[in-house]
Amino acid sequence: MNKTLLANIDDPRSADLDFYEQNGGYESLRKALPMDPGVIIENVKNANLRGRGGAGFPTGMKWTFASGDPKFPKYLVCNADEGEPGTFKDRPILEKNPHILIEGMAISAHALKSDYGYIYLRGEYPDARVILEQAIDQAYEKKYLGDNVMGSGKKFHLSVHVGAGAYICGEETALIESLEGKKGQPRLKPPFPVSVGAWGLPTIVNNVETLSNLPLLIRIGPEQYAAIGSPECPGPKLYSVSGHVERPGVLELPMGTSLKEIIYEHCGGIKGGKTLKAVIPGGISTPVLPHDKIDCPMDFVNMPKHGSMLGSGAVIVMDESVCMVKVCLRAIKFFEHESCGKCTPCKDGTGWLRRILARIEQGEGHKDDIDLLVSIAGNIAGKTFCPLGDGTASVVQNFVKHFRAEFESHITGRGCPF
Amino acid sequence: MIKVTINGKEIELEQPETILKAARKAGIKIPTLCHHDWLKMYGGCRLCLVEIEKMPRLQPACSFLVSDGMVVTTESEQISAVRRGVLEFILINHPLDCPFCDKAGECELQDAVYIYGPSSGRFKEQKIKHPENNTDPLLARNMERCIACTRCVRMCEDVQGAYAIAMTNRGDRTLMEPFSGNRFDCEYCGNCLTVCPVGSILSRPSKSSYRPWQMDANIATVCSYCGVGCLLNLQVRDESIKKVIPVEDAALRSSFERFGPGVAEKNTEKNLYENSVENRKSLNRGLLCALGRFGHEYVDSRERLTSPMVRKNGKLVETSWDEALDFVALKLNEIKNSSGGSALAGIASPRCTNEDNYIFQKFMRGVLGTNNIDSTARLGFAGAQAYLENLMGQGITANPISDLEDADVIFVVGGDPTIATPVLGLNIRAAAAKGAKIITLGRAAGLGRSKPKEITANLFTENKVLERLLALLFSKKEMTGELPAFEEKLKAAAAAPPAEKTTEVTGVTEAEMAEISEIVASAESFAVVIGSDIVQRAAGHCGLFCLAGISYLASGRIFLLSDRPNEQGLIDMGCLPDRLPGGQSLAIDGFRKKYEEISGLTAPPDKGLTLFPMLKAISEGEIKGLYVMGENPALNLPNWPAGDTRKSKIKSLELLVVQDIFPTETSAMADVVLPALSWAEREGTYTNLEHRIQVLRRAVKNMTYGRDDWRIIAEISSRMGTAMKFSSPADIMAEIVRVSPVHRDLRYPDIEKGTMLCRPYKGQPSKSQAGGVVHGEGFKDLIKTCDRPGGSLDDKKSMHRDFVLLLERSLFYSGVTSRKTPALSRIRPDAAVLRMHPEDAAPGLVEGGRVRVSSPSSEETLELETVFDSSVPRGAVKIPEYLEDLGVGALSLITNLPVDPVTKAPAFEECRVTVEAV
Amino acid sequence: MKKEVMQNDLDNKSLFSPVSLRKRYPTLQATLLPALYEAQKRFEWLSLEALEAVSKELDVPKATVRGVATFYSMYKKHPMGRHLIQLCTNISCMLFGAERLVDIIKKHYGVEAGKTSDDGRFSLVIMECIGACGTAPAMLVNTDFHENLTEENIIKILDEYK
Ligand SMILES: Cc1cc2nc3c(=O)[nH]c(=O)nc-3n(C[C@H](O)[C@H](O)[C@H](O)COP(=O)(O)O)c2cc1C
Ligand code: SF4
Ligand code: FES
Repeated sequence: MNKTLLANIDDPRSADLDFYEQNGGYESLRKALPMDPGVIIENVKNANLRGRGGAGFPTGMKWTFASGDPKFPKYLVCNADEGEPGTFKDRPILEKNPHILIEGMAISAHALKSDYGYIYLRGEYPDARVILEQAIDQAYEKKYLGDNVMGSGKKFHLSVHVGAGAYICGEETALIESLEGKKGQPRLKPPFPVSVGAWGLPTIVNNVETLSNLPLLIRIGPEQYAAIGSPECPGPKLYSVSGHVERPGVLELPMGTSLKEIIYEHCGGIKGGKTLKAVIPGGISTPVLPHDKIDCPMDFVNMPKHGSMLGSGAVIVMDESVCMVKVCLRAIKFFEHESCGKCTPCKDGTGWLRRILARIEQGEGHKDDIDLLVSIAGNIAGKTFCPLGDGTASVVQNFVKHFRAEFESHITGRGCPF
Repeated sequence: MIKVTINGKEIELEQPETILKAARKAGIKIPTLCHHDWLKMYGGCRLCLVEIEKMPRLQPACSFLVSDGMVVTTESEQISAVRRGVLEFILINHPLDCPFCDKAGECELQDAVYIYGPSSGRFKEQKIKHPENNTDPLLARNMERCIACTRCVRMCEDVQGAYAIAMTNRGDRTLMEPFSGNRFDCEYCGNCLTVCPVGSILSRPSKSSYRPWQMDANIATVCSYCGVGCLLNLQVRDESIKKVIPVEDAALRSSFERFGPGVAEKNTEKNLYENSVENRKSLNRGLLCALGRFGHEYVDSRERLTSPMVRKNGKLVETSWDEALDFVALKLNEIKNSSGGSALAGIASPRCTNEDNYIFQKFMRGVLGTNNIDSTARLGFAGAQAYLENLMGQGITANPISDLEDADVIFVVGGDPTIATPVLGLNIRAAAAKGAKIITLGRAAGLGRSKPKEITANLFTENKVLERLLALLFSKKEMTGELPAFEEKLKAAAAAPPAEKTTEVTGVTEAEMAEISEIVASAESFAVVIGSDIVQRAAGHCGLFCLAGISYLASGRIFLLSDRPNEQGLIDMGCLPDRLPGGQSLAIDGFRKKYEEISGLTAPPDKGLTLFPMLKAISEGEIKGLYVMGENPALNLPNWPAGDTRKSKIKSLELLVVQDIFPTETSAMADVVLPALSWAEREGTYTNLEHRIQVLRRAVKNMTYGRDDWRIIAEISSRMGTAMKFSSPADIMAEIVRVSPVHRDLRYPDIEKGTMLCRPYKGQPSKSQAGGVVHGEGFKDLIKTCDRPGGSLDDKKSMHRDFVLLLERSLFYSGVTSRKTPALSRIRPDAAVLRMHPEDAAPGLVEGGRVRVSSPSSEETLELETVFDSSVPRGAVKIPEYLEDLGVGALSLITNLPVDPVTKAPAFEECRVTVEAV
Repeated sequence: MKKEVMQNDLDNKSLFSPVSLRKRYPTLQATLLPALYEAQKRFEWLSLEALEAVSKELDVPKATVRGVATFYSMYKKHPMGRHLIQLCTNISCMLFGAERLVDIIKKHYGVEAGKTSDDGRFSLVIMECIGACGTAPAMLVNTDFHENLTEENIIKILDEYK
């Protein structure tokens, strides 16, 4: 498969507008502008494009809700908060191929009749900010952005909004709060952002990768697009692989490539010839898979059937030397640090989990602690305000489920066996 | 119509509501913690999660809207487990210190854990510690008990509009903090206390002073501070007020609602007010201000007057009641017999009840034979009220305060309502939050967050602005013909040629005027809020005329601010030199006849003197006896006749009787001092600025020899040979109701219920008398008076050190009672400063330097520190009104004030002072 | 390759949220996050004084400004050293010994996680994932990314920051 999202990123000029144009850039925007917005949305629906931010929500459906709303202006927000540990798939687009995102957003804005767009960029990507802003300036100069996009009479303004270190701002309503200059705490839903979003107006939030799919989708049309990868959720997909593999990095592969294939073929297998112990397949909120459960197609539909989720497609590979209790503890530390503090189970429960896990890891666990962990996780799961809390619970539940013996040996052996 | 099924019960709803509300309708209780009926939805605590058929996730009942056909289950094994789980989480970092917690017994968390919580905890780890913060003088913060429900923050932001606190940090490190992290630096409304479900925010004055279940009584009464008349509960133990909470304390109410009869019911047993939402809306909506909540300690003050005193050999000495009363009776008789009733005068009190004031005027008129009755209401409210009623009809200011919230344009003139009448101010903020446009003329810093359209006119040119606004509005609006006499006047006013120099004089551009008039003209629900600054002008009535006209043309409602609890009542009771109870003109024989018939006494037919002529008559020796009830004119009034020295007897007076609860600047000059009862020790009624009559209840026993004001007067009356046979305030009210047409048909038991409102009065208001009583001279004369707002400033500027004196009001200060309340003194700025525009500083004047302020006509001087403040108008200096903390009244600088010819209000701020560096 | 990233395109009129920034949003409060970055540059950290200045300029209540500033982890809530080391220890970095690096930095420069070295040269902040998992372990020093860190190269890299 030819790369599109990461096309030419090895070329040092990849972020440059001229270079992008020479390789067919902004042609899709030129093609899309005369199209009826409704038709573009139909195409997105027919292409069966699913959001790449983690939840896999059908993009066409989200757009339909928003486009039906009579309130104006509508805001188009690109979620570039990429905070899920293990995930670094959006970074190459932002740093190396920014124009594909800008083009994607311009097309989406036309389809959604949106005049204003923001790229909510995580504060931890300072380089991306500079590159994006340069790219946006170039796009303004060439009239891909501005009051009259490519002479079509359509207006679209785009700017970068930099976050300041809060994972929860990846959640779309928290992101909107943060965009408004507030604390990034999730809002009550309903109403959903598609009808009441930023500044009370209809707002569409999509992931960087989702929006960057638009140029391709317009170029090849929904039928051909739908033929790439998994039939239920087609298209190219970025997988960011880290941990114990020979060649970590971001891969662009057809949606549904098997996890096994990703690790062993595309990433050269386990580093140093060691054996595989476990894989977190979609960012740390997704359920961990033991080494023998990795023969699964990496897409939104099939992963749940195999006991996990695609999430952000962030694969973390762990070899035999890794202590699962330690990984679990580190993950929970993350959730404790990132809990926004709005709802009780996540706010207080996560810290409790962490304290127990830390005890176990240091060899001070009791035999009842494992059941207590599971029980606490059960009291969090499904009770929180937003899905972050569910992620916390699921981490504990799945690590215990697959690696209970390791937890037990920490307790009985009064310390870490690794 | 939406049909939902909750726990098998079918419920029909007109419109979508939360599951919680729908369930309540069906009598189903769902536990909540972060939810509060007055606040925006939040959904954070997760205690209220319920099952909904066909939904995979549990949903919060407090914030999830029902839809047609929804089937909800609120009680099940699963839900019980969820509630246990949530409460267990809340308790892990909670200190479990109920034994020392003030909130124990009325804590929502405690109640919820008692019913739904786990019986034992599984948490064995280290808790997160946050030491209790007691750096603030009034509010303690205990963040270990905090459940991060954010009710306090939502209250502070969305209801109080103060934005003084926020949740800081995140996750389980989340805390509620004021900006400084220590002191609150806020409006000290304490409304956060009301909504805190646990013991995280505590009132320091009442901290550790009682347990809720050890309270002797919980008395519902009316606040004694301003004209709003908020309803309070006084929580009493050992004959001392321990704490004041609003009548609808959320904690009490919602735990009552959730858990049914129990602890909460015991607390509300004596609360005679109905806890209905309508009631809340119509009163102070459960909100209080700093004065109402923290201003009660004076009742217990050791400085209270404890015994009657009579001046002997130049000194006041304690005597028996009999001796003091006999002495007063004797002296009054003497003066009356030798010089006639007109040699006597009385000053009534807007802090005393209707009944006190009724008896007072009855005594003055019927027993002493004088109409020389006035009060400090003359400083603004009384004259303005009478003038507006003359123009537009009786009851024109009788508008429900809560209606303000629904106005879409509010014009605030002549003072900051969030200071004069704080809870009324909240209604304005609430209206703004709902999208109303607020226009301000004059100071209104407290409305800053409501993004008002500010008209900044040059000092003392407000009348010109109003005049222009009236003319512009006149050209845009049709007249209704409702008040023909008033319309005539308006027509004349509008016909006056447009003042070309308006912009030049006022500094307000024509474009701005046009814009504002357009906003007013297009208002659907317009309100004018009038503060005393605009009344206290040499031509204050001109401004009032324009405001009346603007309101009339825009079909608005007028709110006349009153910073005393019973100014309206005092007027209604006839404590005026020209009016009998019920606003009946003394000049109309029929009214007087009826009054005499019912009261059984005769009233002199001629108008008495208003306050300032009265003071003049005292200085000139024409008045020989003065009776002061519950007022401190020596401090509160300019032009007060001087004694030989401060604190000595006034030479020109043969008799000065002062009835009060504290020794005051005035009582120090008196011949006889009679101790009265404080607000918490007596009964009676107050009438607030919207003309609502409310009952004051006795909460504590009086520990001095003080007596009810009305009783003292009745006894003197008896000693003078006229028996006044009243046994209670209710008894007096029975007579008032017969005398006063505006109180007609009002029965005391009805008033007592608290829900029985006297607005509009059941009696017939008399129609507009415009053109009749006050200045029928036509508008030309009006303009003329407008032309001289305190003379021209320019001549004064050339004198360099001369400035207009502006009085700075404080939210935390309101006369003697607040001065004797330590809690309030602690939040008042401790150093009084003089503020002036930096560019006005004469050579030698530096920021932080000390200055001496003096006025040409007064012997008093003040020394203060200077602060440069560019918000102070050029040519003016600002001095706090509450300077008496430093021993000197700012008002003592002000003498020889001009008085408005119509309202007879003094032009307070038109006084010039000299400022010199020391 | 050092870049001044938070160099806001400042007009002189407003200190923290320049007009060019304000134009991008329908409300002034929306510029709060960038304004806080700017303020922390000017005041070195977000002292109460800095927060108050932002509050005034943006007309956002100061308590609210403080609530926002303390919510986000990238704002400096206390004074910090000349160079800010933001080291990721999240799982992918942890797998390659990020925690060892913390010890090394501590030993070498005397700076503990969350603290500043006595000489004021470095502050060390432990980060959650900074999106360099494929080249773990990684850190940001001020605004420069350094990836594929090892026990050997980290000191060499940090020594460059005087
Ligand atoms: C806790 C949490 C963190 C999230 N973080 C991200 C993120 O970093 N990037 C992202 O694109 N979506 C993130 N999401 C998903 C967004 O809420 C949202 O679903 C997504 O931006 C929608 O875009 P899409 O439809 O294109 O996937 C997160 C969701 C949650 C609950
Ligand atoms: S689950 Fe609750 S506390 Fe956690 S991030 Fe979401 S809203 Fe905040
Ligand atoms: S009461 Fe519903 S979530 Fe707190």
